[in-house]
Amino acid sequence: MPPSNDRSEKQAAAQLAVDILHEISTILNCHLDRRTLSICISMIENGVNPEALATAVKELRNEAQEVQIEAAGAGSSSTRARR
Amino acid sequence: MAYLAQLGALTDELVAAVRAIPETQRQRLDLCRESTLRALRYHNFARTNQFEVEDRLNGLEERFRVTGRDALADEFRKRLDALEPFRDKWTPDVLHFILELADQPAQKSDLSN
Repeated sequence: MPPSNDRSEKQAAAQLAVDILHEISTILNCHLDRRTLSICISMIENGVNPEALATAVKELRNEAQEVQIEAAGAGSSSTRARR
Repeated sequence: MAYLAQLGALTDELVAAVRAIPETQRQRLDLCRESTLRALRYHNFARTNQFEVEDRLNGLEERFRVTGRDALADEFRKRLDALEPFRDKWTPDVLHFILELADQPAQKSDLSN
C-alpha cells in the first residue's frame, strides 16, 4: 500500500476518534467545542498533564467571564454617561 | 526548545479557541498566555491512572442509570465502546481531561445536543 494512503487512513481514524471523544465530552456536559478539544488532545499528546490542562481551561473560562463582565460594565456606564 | 515552541503555539491556539481575551487587549492576552503556559509546565498533579479513569467512567454510567437517565447511559456506553478500536496510549489521559471538565452530567446533560 502506498504511504500516502496509509497516512490518509490514519488521519481518517484520528478524525473519527476525535468525533467520538467530542460526543463523549458533550454527553458529560464539558462545554468543549470540537476545535478546542482537538487542541487539547494535541497538547496531551505532547505530554501536557490532563489535570493541569483542565485547570488551565477552567482558568481561561473564568478570565473570559471577567472580560465579559468588564465589557458589559463599560458598556452600561458609557450608556449612562451619554444620558 | 522545539517542545517549548510547540507548546507555546498550542497554548496560543487554546487561548484563542476559548476566546478568553479579545485580540485588542494585547497586554492582557500576553499575560494570560504566559500564566497558562506556566500552569501547564509547572504543576503538582500526578500522572493519569488508567484504572481510575476506567472506574470513574463506569461509575458515571451507573450514576446515569441510578438517576433514571438510561438513554444517556446507553449513549455514553455506545460511545465508549465505539472508542475501543481507536484507543492508543493517550486515550486514558484524554478521557481523564474530559472527566475533569464534566459539569454535573447526570443533572444537566441534554441528549438533544
